[in-house]
Amino acid sequence: MKQRPLVLQSLLVALFVAYMILPIIATYIFSIATKWDITLMPEGYTLEWYQTAFDHPYFSITLTNSFIVSIAAVLVGLLFIVPTTYWVHTRVPSAKPLLDLLMILPFGIPAVVLALALIRVYAFPPFARSPFLLISACVIFSMPFMYRPVSNSLMAIDVHTLTESALSLGANTLQILLRVIAPNILPGILSGSLLVFATVFAEFTLANLITGASFKTFPILLVEFTRRDGRIAAALSVISFTVAWLASIAILWGSGRGRKPTEEALGAR
Amino acid sequence: MMSFTRIPRKTWSNWLGVAPFLAFCLAFEIVPVLLLLSGSFSDKQGAFSLGNYAKISAPIYVRSFWNSIQISAITAILGAILGLLIGYAIFRLPSPRVREALIALSDVTTNFAGAPLAFAFIVILGSNGVVTLAFEKYFALKLYPAFSIYSYSGLVLAYLYFQLPLMILLIIPAFAGLRREWWESAHNLGANTFQYWRRIALPILTPSLIAGIVLLFANAFGAYATAWTLGGSNITLATIQIAFTITGEVLHDPGAGDALAVVSLLIMGVCIAIYQFANSRARRWAR
Amino acid sequence: MAYLELQNVSKLFGAVAAVKDFNLAVEKGAFVSLLGPSGCGKTTTLRMIAGFEMPDAGALTLDGMDITSVPPNKRGTGMVFQAYALFPNMNVRDNVAFGLEVTGHPKQEIDERVREMLALVRLDDTAKRFPHQLSGGQQQRIALARALAIRPRVLLLDEPLSALDAVVRVALRGEIRRIQLELGITTVYVTHDQEEALSISDRVVVMNQGLIEQTGSPEEIYRQPQTRFVAAFIGTANQLNGVVVDRTQVRFGEILLRAPVPSGLNESSKAVVLVRPESIAIHAAAPTDAHNVLEGTIQTITFLGPITRVGVDVGGTRVVADMAASNRAAFTHTQHVWLSFPPDACQVMANQ
Ligand SMILES: Nc1ncnc2c1ncn2[C@@H]1O[C@H](COP(=O)(O)OP(=O)(O)OP(=O)(O)O)[C@@H](O)[C@H]1O
Ligand SMILES: [Mg+2]
Repeated sequence: MKQRPLVLQSLLVALFVAYMILPIIATYIFSIATKWDITLMPEGYTLEWYQTAFDHPYFSITLTNSFIVSIAAVLVGLLFIVPTTYWVHTRVPSAKPLLDLLMILPFGIPAVVLALALIRVYAFPPFARSPFLLISACVIFSMPFMYRPVSNSLMAIDVHTLTESALSLGANTLQILLRVIAPNILPGILSGSLLVFATVFAEFTLANLITGASFKTFPILLVEFTRRDGRIAAALSVISFTVAWLASIAILWGSGRGRKPTEEALGAR
Repeated sequence: MMSFTRIPRKTWSNWLGVAPFLAFCLAFEIVPVLLLLSGSFSDKQGAFSLGNYAKISAPIYVRSFWNSIQISAITAILGAILGLLIGYAIFRLPSPRVREALIALSDVTTNFAGAPLAFAFIVILGSNGVVTLAFEKYFALKLYPAFSIYSYSGLVLAYLYFQLPLMILLIIPAFAGLRREWWESAHNLGANTFQYWRRIALPILTPSLIAGIVLLFANAFGAYATAWTLGGSNITLATIQIAFTITGEVLHDPGAGDALAVVSLLIMGVCIAIYQFANSRARRWAR
Repeated sequence: MAYLELQNVSKLFGAVAAVKDFNLAVEKGAFVSLLGPSGCGKTTTLRMIAGFEMPDAGALTLDGMDITSVPPNKRGTGMVFQAYALFPNMNVRDNVAFGLEVTGHPKQEIDERVREMLALVRLDDTAKRFPHQLSGGQQQRIALARALAIRPRVLLLDEPLSALDAVVRVALRGEIRRIQLELGITTVYVTHDQEEALSISDRVVVMNQGLIEQTGSPEEIYRQPQTRFVAAFIGTANQLNGVVVDRTQVRFGEILLRAPVPSGLNESSKAVVLVRPESIAIHAAAPTDAHNVLEGTIQTITFLGPITRVGVDVGGTRVVADMAASNRAAFTHTQHVWLSFPPDACQVMANQ
């Protein structure tokens, strides 16, 4: 096919990149600027806002809470969704359409609706407004991100044939799981875990509506500061972006073969 | 799959392995949503009633739905058109490494929704933002008060930030599915570039395009954190109204909240159904 | 001047010369095959004829007109691709009509032509179907109908049968030849399947690494390979390495073989004697009245249906000979046997 006019093409791509990068860069700079409201570039640089943020009593509490919720969601995914996915692929293929459907539903339920539905049902102690309820909501909300990569890699390796050839070579079930299946789906599990971690870590809606002030997470603190002090909000945003970048880089690096997390989560839906 | 070569399975006990997960989904997804549904059709005493739906026909709720639909449609269509163009530009880049890098960038940024993103837009496009100042200085163009990041137009700009890369991620595989033979056959049979796009490439891309638009629509419709951080109560969207009934900031009417949630679910359900259908059409061609 | 001519055509991809100094003349109405191993430049040559690749050197003429820089959509060549080239969003009728529609033919003429073409490929009743509702073989027939609908001056086919299974392949190649003869259309056909090329072509061009090894009728290519490459690539040929003794003899080990030595080969130069397996007879006892007798031990006996192929170790050189399957019982593994072949079944060429 004829080459498109290269100028137009490059211009489009450049504008896109600028649009994607500019807000992030600006936030990074803003978080270390002394004063940046009438000049085009900051008047000076400082780490004061980070210091203030770190010193804030809620900083470490919310950060810890966010880590607790994210890690719990990842663990539930690993101990619950991965084995179920494997089980369905190998033992109950007839349950696969049901599983697929259950994994699509969260995309169709807005976070506010999920929060509302859970609060209505679990209005009694010890569930009401508890971190436990928040974690459950986060698991439901993020489970497609764990399911898709694992399910796709299970399909890609054709577990049946692999299992049967390993059996014919004399391997037992444990050996098959540890030495044949696991290495093949590990990249999928890894990218699923990181994606769940990143999404849950940044999740504001569920946390704000389910636990709110009783169990504040990092994004809640961030939103509070966007209304009180922009410079500290910037410092917190930078931390949030950095966590997301790190997770994304780890996913890209870990999955290697050019499979991208979102592509994967959306794939074959 | 040649299942007859395998040992017949005890299907029943195998289903037990799925049971814990099914129970979890029932407990935290299915049952709460069903109860929401039944709650929306009950009055305070639990009797059947359409009262909640009558309540949400109040102007504030109708307007919030209309706003949500509008902003979702605008950002979905804009995102789809721009995503199509930029996606094609990226797809046709000569260097595979640059192309991969841009896809990776889209992948990361489409997950950057929510509070930090909203704040980043305040940093660049707030009344003292860099871009606002740059426009004033270099183009002598005052963005404010005609434009405001806290307004409707600002919200569109912020939503596009996660809509655009999502569309790019969805459409690039569709471009990759356009086989070189189709262009060459068409050209060989006498078609020019325009005829090829009009008669072959665009019709083949249409299901993917529709799938992209509805997914973007659903993506925007369900969003809450970005709008909340940016506009607070300035902009009234369906999700913001639902959240209000939980936090009780404005009014506290659980029944209305249920009805709002059910209508939202309905809209989302239609989107997902169209998405699935369009996607299966796209896949049928991509053999 | 021939109808289609390629003169000194070359094509480079970076440092790779895909096609080198290619010369080919195709008469009007002829069916020419380009045959060669993977990567030898067949597709590149065909795509240059279609206009999808620009030659780096040389010229192409079609019907007396230089077409070297004519764009593909103005060349009037009809191309059939390996597979999956039908437009998936259009039904069969629209696919076949496409070329006529984009060039603005009246609807009535198009409908007429589509009917005619579908009848030609014997798929009259598929007009409303979509490509994904057709078998691979049917799809390729529609692709052929689509290419022919525009009344191309040359029909180009790039391995159109290679994605199909064996039975369909054989049936469809006969079909292609029938249609080609019926329309009398000049055709260039690319394949790496020698049987296919030999069975349907008027002329065969054997290519190797971007160069033409030999051009000729299927019989010439098979019976008189001009290079060792052609001899080895087409069918099976035994290659006996020896030294020229005189104009009628070549020494192979201890044995003097009678064979016609071409004038280009001098005495005592290295030569190779080519013999097809079907020209070699096998004897259980030493033959008395035969020329060119070799002695050896049977290594392998392979049943191939109508014939049985016997591999014999002749002093370290493996020689294969074919015999009727009915003679199979007369021979066993490791048996000591004699092979013979007439001098006129031999072809001698230089051994570089
Ligand atoms: N677009 C291209 N870019 C770079 N190299 C190419 C390109 N097309 C072909 N080549 C190279 O040119 C040579 C000839 O390729 P060509 O496709 O003509 O071979 P072929 O004879 O058709 O092989 P096959 O039987 O496998 O189809 C090969 O070495 C190939 O790698
Ligand atoms: Mg080829």
